[in-house]
Amino acid sequence: MSAVLAGLGVDRPMTILLLLLIPLVASGLTAVTRSRRMMESIHLLSALAAFGTAILLAAEVLANGESSSWSGYLYADSLSALVVLLAAFVYLVCAPYSIGYLRTDERNQVFGSEENGNMSLVKLRKYYTLTPLLAFSMFLVAVASNLGVMWVALEGTTLASIFLVTFYGRPTSLEAAWKYAMIGGVGLSMALFGTILTYYEVHQALGAESLTALSWQVITSHAAKFDHTVMRLAFILILLGYGTKAGLAPMHTWKPDAYSEAPAPVAALLSAAVLNSAMYALARFYVITVRCLGPSFPSQLLILFGLLSIGIAVPFILVQRSYRRLLAYSSIDHGGIMVLALGFGGVLGPLGMMLHMTFHSVTKPLLFFCAGNAQQRTGHDSLRKTAGGLLHTLPVSGPVFLLAALAVTGTPPFSLFQSEFLILRAGFSAHHEGWTALFVAMLVAIFGGFFYHISQLVLGPPNGPPDTETCKWKTYPVIGLAAVVVLMGFWLPGPVYALVKGAAQILTVHP
Amino acid sequence: MFFWQDPQFGDRMITLMAALVLVLQIMMVGQRWLVTNIRAFALQSLLLAGISCTIAYFNDARDLYIAAALMLLLKALLLPVMLRRLVARIEIRREIEPLVNVPLSVLISGLLTLLAYVVAEPLQARPAMGAAGLGRNTLPVAIALFLIGFFMMINRRKALTQVLALLSLENGLFLAAISLTYGMPMIVEVGIFFDVLVAVMILAILVYRIRETFDSMDVSRLSRLRG
Amino acid sequence: MIGQLAMILGQAALVLLLSPLITGFSKTLKARLQTRRGPGILQPYRDLHKLLRKGMVVPETASWIFSATPTVLFATTLLAGLMIPMVLAQAPLSMVGGVLAVVYLLALGRFFLALGGLDAGSSFGGLGSSREMTISAIAEPALMLAVFTVALSAGSTNLSLMAQAAVGQSWRFLAPSQMLAFAALFIVLIAETGRIPVDNPATHLELTMIHEAMILEYSGPYLALIEWSAWMKQMVLMTLLMNVFFPYGLSADGSPVGMVISVVLFVFKLALLVLAIVLVETTNAKMRLFRVPELLAVAFVLSALALISTFLFGGRG
Repeated sequence: MSAVLAGLGVDRPMTILLLLLIPLVASGLTAVTRSRRMMESIHLLSALAAFGTAILLAAEVLANGESSSWSGYLYADSLSALVVLLAAFVYLVCAPYSIGYLRTDERNQVFGSEENGNMSLVKLRKYYTLTPLLAFSMFLVAVASNLGVMWVALEGTTLASIFLVTFYGRPTSLEAAWKYAMIGGVGLSMALFGTILTYYEVHQALGAESLTALSWQVITSHAAKFDHTVMRLAFILILLGYGTKAGLAPMHTWKPDAYSEAPAPVAALLSAAVLNSAMYALARFYVITVRCLGPSFPSQLLILFGLLSIGIAVPFILVQRSYRRLLAYSSIDHGGIMVLALGFGGVLGPLGMMLHMTFHSVTKPLLFFCAGNAQQRTGHDSLRKTAGGLLHTLPVSGPVFLLAALAVTGTPPFSLFQSEFLILRAGFSAHHEGWTALFVAMLVAIFGGFFYHISQLVLGPPNGPPDTETCKWKTYPVIGLAAVVVLMGFWLPGPVYALVKGAAQILTVHP
Repeated sequence: MFFWQDPQFGDRMITLMAALVLVLQIMMVGQRWLVTNIRAFALQSLLLAGISCTIAYFNDARDLYIAAALMLLLKALLLPVMLRRLVARIEIRREIEPLVNVPLSVLISGLLTLLAYVVAEPLQARPAMGAAGLGRNTLPVAIALFLIGFFMMINRRKALTQVLALLSLENGLFLAAISLTYGMPMIVEVGIFFDVLVAVMILAILVYRIRETFDSMDVSRLSRLRG
Repeated sequence: MIGQLAMILGQAALVLLLSPLITGFSKTLKARLQTRRGPGILQPYRDLHKLLRKGMVVPETASWIFSATPTVLFATTLLAGLMIPMVLAQAPLSMVGGVLAVVYLLALGRFFLALGGLDAGSSFGGLGSSREMTISAIAEPALMLAVFTVALSAGSTNLSLMAQAAVGQSWRFLAPSQMLAFAALFIVLIAETGRIPVDNPATHLELTMIHEAMILEYSGPYLALIEWSAWMKQMVLMTLLMNVFFPYGLSADGSPVGMVISVVLFVFKLALLVLAIVLVETTNAKMRLFRVPELLAVAFVLSALALISTFLFGGRG
């Protein structure tokens, strides 16, 4: 009721609109700015403002249960608000880090030598215009009530990030961007096909011609009437399509390349925030499909893809030679865990998924920051060539790297352990004992491989002169985020947990 | 009543154009010349615009005229011109080296068409809506375009032909959208076309840069990143 | 019974007399398109007349097959011509067999022609025979598939019924299966009649010739019969193509007015088809022999697609 009133009233909340406008304006301003310092401050300010607005939106949703503007085309419930909040958080922590990261790059003359300083300005402008656009697309994915617009926005995340993957212009980064564009393009085409089929069903069931026909609220409420064959086909296409975007196996091949070639803050954004957007889209369709087909068909598929993704990560993590790619496989693994949790279903499954998404989004950027610092220090990301000693050469990032590695593999007392344990319980209560046991076994293997590689990297005798890590822009985000990660292991803020629970409730469907 | 107002005639025309679209798709699978491929793609898009117009005319679906206009402008005119320029710039004309040889590829395309027929059958069996379900019978062609486009992407090693395959795959989606739903809601359509356009610009630049850096358009040489 | 006989005789006369004219017309038309004067429309008749009066040279190695070939070829082709509706919707010998009989009568003729080419014992004959068989091995499946497609939508393989089935439906020729089958048959027609992208009837260049190589050893009346059969075969195939897909104007009852209209339309349609073939001939270059199977593969794919699309479009294909 309050949503209807808000939609009609003059003083309706414009939070969502504001949220979308901030990154757009930031991107536009950056495009016309000439000074590097201006770009940096605009970027930082926009990240702060976006995070603030995301908190506002979350508060609004917690108070009213939902929030909408633009006569319902933009709509947010707990699920959207959570995804937006996480995206804004990652965007926020990436902003100061990227300033330090890019300054270091410039100092290391990655963009070319001193005389073409113009070149580095072009590069910086590219980064500072495209990253807000990426954030904008991610926000739009979560707040668009129209499935078609959601698809467009997800395609937008790909488009905005392609040139960020090619940022360094190396042959390998072109290759990575090429794979990213082509595999992502095919994946999104499949998702579009699934969306078309869904819309066709709505069309059949409602005969609606208006724009609201693709709004997922409408679709969800009428899903029971849809044809089963069509929805089955649609869900398979959607799972393959958005699964490609989320990097589920076997459509994951673009992920290690893109994550290892992009600048570290971009990789953090892709891994911790864009992954959530794809998961969000998948979850929305999951709800529709369950309403139509019942839980068993989508659950089986989700469990299959989830286990496959975790399983494919195991050997690649064990024999990995590059730590950036190691992190990418960890993302594939965590994407698989989220999908698996959704597949387990029940009450605990969605809750586990949402918690896992939250904790992963907080922890993953930290790893990418540390990896980025290490890579900028040594000039490569090879595990073998680095040969240990980061603890000495990087007095801040080194130890934090180890801590983050422990956190991301789900070691107690860190938060990811809680969510993984919850997913474990969800698996048992859904009577998937065999799959759950397999899941645990693979998690242990991943922990072993991951911890082995990172400890090899961080521990050991000093390798080169100790560095004081003078660049505050690079160290403070690492320290701050590490504090948050540690804190989250013991205390999750009440409102955030309420949001997580609300989001999980949306995904808990009783057909 | 003039003969062009006869819905049966419209139905025939749509069916015929859809069949030609399919023929062009299979021709692209079996064709070695890049320029011919681009031309086939342009013609295919033109036919899709024609189908869109015909459905719009007989079903009084105004939205579809806009979709048809966009299709005509972007995919039948602008993109082919862009791709032609790209071909002229990188001086590659006969560069398609499929992984599977041509006769087998064509055979696989035929089998994929049959698969599309099997997949589409349950959807076609349902009661039609609108003016006698005009254009509904093109759904198998749409699915076939999608599948064959997918096959082409796997089968082709060159960057530019992969782009063409992706575009023709998207043509299949367009046909599915207009034949099943008489066009998705307008805003989505515009969004899709915008995306396709931007995507192709990015791909074109990428192709160019790949050419610059690798001196080859062969995607199979893009294999340094492994594991 | 008398009427039946009259029909048979009439159509036989039509096939025998009109087929040289078609060839003459196409040669003249081609010459004009190439801005030559050409030999004149009636030249094939004059050729026949001359050949029939001349003596023959039969190779010493030749057996009875060599002498039987022209007769068998002539008879099978003429018989095939009688089984196709040309002017009347009811073909004179349609009760004997359908389109399959036509196709296999022509195949029998070709078989003998190839044997005759081998029998003469010259290397060119063997070369021509092997090429002819290579091509027909691919052309024939394409032809059969295309014919089946049309038969499927007509519900019969009887040519008269097929022609009649097509008359009533509006816009039937726009159906993709019909269009694709037509395109496939057109390619087959070009291949079977030895036209330019496949074979060149005007050359004796050993690298390329197919038909001419097979009949190199024939002379006099035998050659006349073979040439005449080739012209008749061309006419038969063209009629098949026209009247299966565009049977408009076929006289159903045999009334005088209907007959006149039918004949005029028949000649008109044939002239159009000749024009199309000649245009293809003048705008294309002769293919290398190894490329010919590719062209025929296209025809095969087209006819396979035609067959698929009868199912694909839910009854409207």
